[in-house]
Amino acid sequence: MNAEAFRATGRVAGKRLPRMDGVGKVVGKHVYAADFTLPGMLYGRILRSKKPHARIVKIDASRAKAIPGVRAVITAADIPAVRYGQAVRDAPVFALDRVLFYGHAIAAVAATTLEIAEQALAAIDVELEELPAVYDPEEALANAVLVHPDWQDLKALPILVRDGNMAACAKIKSGDVDAAFAKAYRVYEHSFKTAIQHPGYTEPRASVADWDANGNVTVWTNTQLPFDTQNTLAEILDLPSARVRVIVPGIGGGFGGKLRIGVEHYAALLARKTARPVRVLSTSEEELTAATPRQSAVVHLKTAVDREGKLLGRQGRIIVDCGAFAGSGPGTAAVSLQVLAGPYRNGSLALEGVAVYTNKVPAGSFRAPAGPMANFAVESQMDIIADDLGIDPLELRLRNIVHEGDLGPSGEVLKAVSIEECLRKAAEAIGWHDRKPAPGRGKGIACSWWMTTGGSSGVYVKINPDGTATLVSGAVELGTGAITGASQVLADALSLDLSDINVAGVDTQTSPFDYGAQGSRTAFSVGNACLAAAADLRQQLFDLAAQQWNIGTEGMELRDKQVIAGNKAITIAELARISRLSGGGLIAHGTAISPPPAYDPGKLENHLLPVWNTPSFHAQAVDLSVDSETGTVSINRYVVAQDVGFAINPTYIEGQIEGGVSQGIGQALSEEIVYQDGRVMNANLTDYKMPTALDVPEITCILVQCASAAGPFGAKGVGEPPCIHPPAAIANAIASATGARLYSLPMTAEKIVKELRTARE
Amino acid sequence: MSRKLLELTINGEKHQLLAEPHWTLLQVLRGQIGMMGTKENCLEAECGVCTVLLDGHAVNSCLLLAGQAEGHEITTIEGLGQPENLDPLQAAFIACGAVQCGYCIPGMILTAKSYLDENPGYVPSRQEIREAIAGTLCRCTGYSKIVDAISQAAQDRLTGNTLTESKETAA
Amino acid sequence: MSFELHRPTNIAEALGLATRLGAAARFIAGGTDLVVQINRGRATPQHVIDISHLSDLSRDIRQTADGFSLGALTHYRSIERHPAFQDALKALPEAASVVGGVQVRNIASIGGNIINASPAADFVPALLALDAELEIQGSAGSRRALLHDFILGPGKTDLRPGEILTQVHFKSPAANSATAFLKEGRRKAMEISVVCVAACLTLAADGKTCQAARIVVGAAAPKAYRCEAAETALIGKPADAETFRAAAQLAAAQAAPISDVRASAEHRRHLVGVLVQRALEICRQRIAGV
Repeated sequence: MNAEAFRATGRVAGKRLPRMDGVGKVVGKHVYAADFTLPGMLYGRILRSKKPHARIVKIDASRAKAIPGVRAVITAADIPAVRYGQAVRDAPVFALDRVLFYGHAIAAVAATTLEIAEQALAAIDVELEELPAVYDPEEALANAVLVHPDWQDLKALPILVRDGNMAACAKIKSGDVDAAFAKAYRVYEHSFKTAIQHPGYTEPRASVADWDANGNVTVWTNTQLPFDTQNTLAEILDLPSARVRVIVPGIGGGFGGKLRIGVEHYAALLARKTARPVRVLSTSEEELTAATPRQSAVVHLKTAVDREGKLLGRQGRIIVDCGAFAGSGPGTAAVSLQVLAGPYRNGSLALEGVAVYTNKVPAGSFRAPAGPMANFAVESQMDIIADDLGIDPLELRLRNIVHEGDLGPSGEVLKAVSIEECLRKAAEAIGWHDRKPAPGRGKGIACSWWMTTGGSSGVYVKINPDGTATLVSGAVELGTGAITGASQVLADALSLDLSDINVAGVDTQTSPFDYGAQGSRTAFSVGNACLAAAADLRQQLFDLAAQQWNIGTEGMELRDKQVIAGNKAITIAELARISRLSGGGLIAHGTAISPPPAYDPGKLENHLLPVWNTPSFHAQAVDLSVDSETGTVSINRYVVAQDVGFAINPTYIEGQIEGGVSQGIGQALSEEIVYQDGRVMNANLTDYKMPTALDVPEITCILVQCASAAGPFGAKGVGEPPCIHPPAAIANAIASATGARLYSLPMTAEKIVKELRTARE
Repeated sequence: MSRKLLELTINGEKHQLLAEPHWTLLQVLRGQIGMMGTKENCLEAECGVCTVLLDGHAVNSCLLLAGQAEGHEITTIEGLGQPENLDPLQAAFIACGAVQCGYCIPGMILTAKSYLDENPGYVPSRQEIREAIAGTLCRCTGYSKIVDAISQAAQDRLTGNTLTESKETAA
Repeated sequence: MSFELHRPTNIAEALGLATRLGAAARFIAGGTDLVVQINRGRATPQHVIDISHLSDLSRDIRQTADGFSLGALTHYRSIERHPAFQDALKALPEAASVVGGVQVRNIASIGGNIINASPAADFVPALLALDAELEIQGSAGSRRALLHDFILGPGKTDLRPGEILTQVHFKSPAANSATAFLKEGRRKAMEISVVCVAACLTLAADGKTCQAARIVVGAAAPKAYRCEAAETALIGKPADAETFRAAAQLAAAQAAPISDVRASAEHRRHLVGVLVQRALEICRQRIAGV
């Protein structure tokens, strides 16, 4: 429907063109949601629990309400009793009878200044009676303390298996793992742990809400999913969704942490109560206690191999810690299973992904949900196996990777499989032949695969009488450059230049639906929708030209911004003018949806994402040195070989790789939200350690282009994969450098020193 | 609360306003004057998005009391180039692909400018650039192309060229 | 939380204000510690006295007959870039260069850092390794105090009401001396030290025997501490790995570290041993011109 109609000409798509919104950003004119203001607006702040699990005995806001300048104080008692959530509808706007985690919202305040709002927070008297709590997800499975005693009454997706604190349990089963273990040459069993990681966007969550005279609300906010936010708001406000308008002025990073409702509902509820516009901006402390970070996880992995290291079977269990609300935990637990299977011929599989409630921050969908945790386990264990069998780790992988036409874990036929090329290129670039160049220095490698998230996208494309085209899309430009990429695809298909494309703002009222800037899908899906619109516009242009010349459309070409038929030519601009006079203008609606590949449902149970669309393949390799006395890791070189299908804009694809690796390095070495007795100990950027410019090495990006069938010009999703491999690659390199194997993230200097000391004793 | 009259010199222009004594320069820039180019995030000098120049030196405006900034030359991102006439740093950031979400970019550009101005005529190594920008966090880019851009700008400042086209290299 | 901001023009005015306003007033220089504390509710002054523009409070680095004097308002960035602080005084720019990011170092004052008296301050150990002496002015006149005696504990110094720190003096080390500063944290910049160490080593004329040493450890006790036992143990011994390791163990034994979100006490103690040994070795190499 789209990819076949056009082939990349190389004129626009494929070039390193500067992004369309760059100038505004470098001169400080680009407006982010955190910059957005309205005249007369009030300032909202949220009162959050300082206890992890407690019964709310009473809330007395009378002192707060009496402060001059305070215009509203609201709690659960003031709003409809709605619970929302994408898998389980367990989350209320404010804590109901109990607070369930440190940072849980108890009340919200709107005042004429931010300072008065803060004073009001301090003046709200809350009496909390602490309750026994559960923080460890494996312990939580015993259901001694129930986070949601009413779990059976909660609405949830029918596919989920739930029981007490277990919010979901997904399985992948293939072949007979018991037989595999019985006949194996060796069986390896290991457990791995990973920590909670904050997405770390530099622009905090921010929303401004304003109601009009007809009871409609507009919210300007930095969400990645404006239509999902619109729906959730409509539920919370008890309105039809058409009465809720979500506009994204600009967004300073998201990484999956700005998918679901953040502060929009507080702004909207306060604005309704006060009949004034209200702005709510998250503080750094709120981001680190009450945002939607990456789940922590525990992975138990048991793998059987034959004498040559060929995989015979894998049994795995991943326990994903959802925190107090399920959030995207169920989806994450499900997707982790495909990552555990890896880009490998496993022989047989028995994988289980469990999502569990605890009394901690509800987690979300930070970049490649479950990817790094599952990959850390699988790829660490591959190296352990290689080491034990005396096989080179690269060779072990090459013996087991999938090839074109193999079946994936869901029984789907894998196409455009490039994992061998990625592995070999990464290995060559890092100098794999010399894996231990010096004492304390070693190289590690890790590989994976990942999906291009499906979901539909629509665009309108108008051609204007000045020869430009306007692209109206509901997809938010997060910073990845995906909209520039989609525009390059559009320009290429219409024989225009990138500078001829104008992109309209994202507004649920006027933009066509888009499934959202998530899951590495934006350039892919919006690009495809653009190709569909371009195909329609091309036909409209040909038909109009044919009318002008009184000929048929056969043999017509679209080239150099003109329609050409033999020795006749007419500009697109002129055709647009003509169309306005007589035909209402040139406009097309393009849509795209990737039908998922065929798969075998018999292999899966209760799995939210049973088969992956247009998967990509990738490998990363690292050369690092470890100071064995201090435990400090210094990365000498980092290489990524990633199959992107078709590089629509290599500069911004490299940007995704470099940024994703940087986040992965943070997860590997320094980042964790630390809880002690249910309280966050490092809710500030002093002690939540994201990599600085001195912590990230130069990164070599090798773009492998193994074209997909479904992507625009063969492209595959790009954004998430780069953050998947660093923990495993780094763990493998640390083991290579020192002999020390670490099983928990982050692999801090202190842990490395401890492990080295234990190994010596 | 008693507001005092402050006169701040920002990008060469004088601004007179009434400010509470405890307001920081960041609060005054964004809240009172409405100059949104300087960004807010951690509010404790840990992220650098609020960076402005004080007499040409990069400082975190989130911890500088507005009253203390009186009598100094304040430069914000709005005081650098304009679209028709970008500063070499701004042009290089675009050309080298160093801008993604862009929220750290005003602070990052001013941090870089402070460093390059401090060392006129000097083309720093990549490691020196990384040291110079270590106080400004970027979550999107992984820093590589930011280092490219600052390196490019250092060269451009020497030669007087400004890179306006995107850097084409073999893909 | 509001306060009144005063902007006196000279020290006498500033001290007059401080005396009049008493405990309700705090001085502010760069503000990088105080404003954070005010925002977190840990400091609640009703008056803030801006001393960053006093005409007679120096931010200069001055060479004196036997060493240097740093004005209390000296910025870390000036120390980082000062040409005279290479060679024997290398620990000073090494310590200065790791205080926060450049933005902090362009405005934070060494005086403010000293008065803030964080146990993890980076520059304090470097000054202590040089036996720094403070000059403090009060309404009655000036006095001097050793930095070593001046810092009393976390957040506490011997600054009395109506006083202001004006200068930091130190003598250049003797011939055949070198200094070094090392720091460990969880990442390579923007770190509050997990442990930091400053050392000043003086060798005898033969270049092989230790003559004198100052070894100072930060972030491993309620305040930066001199490892006197280790310093004494070095005297007369050969400047080699074994001597340095023994000294390092003494230094580690003296540590009184805490466990916190940055590191455990055990790891801090371990790092003291590692960093002290390395700092001494670096000094030895610097003296040897290696």
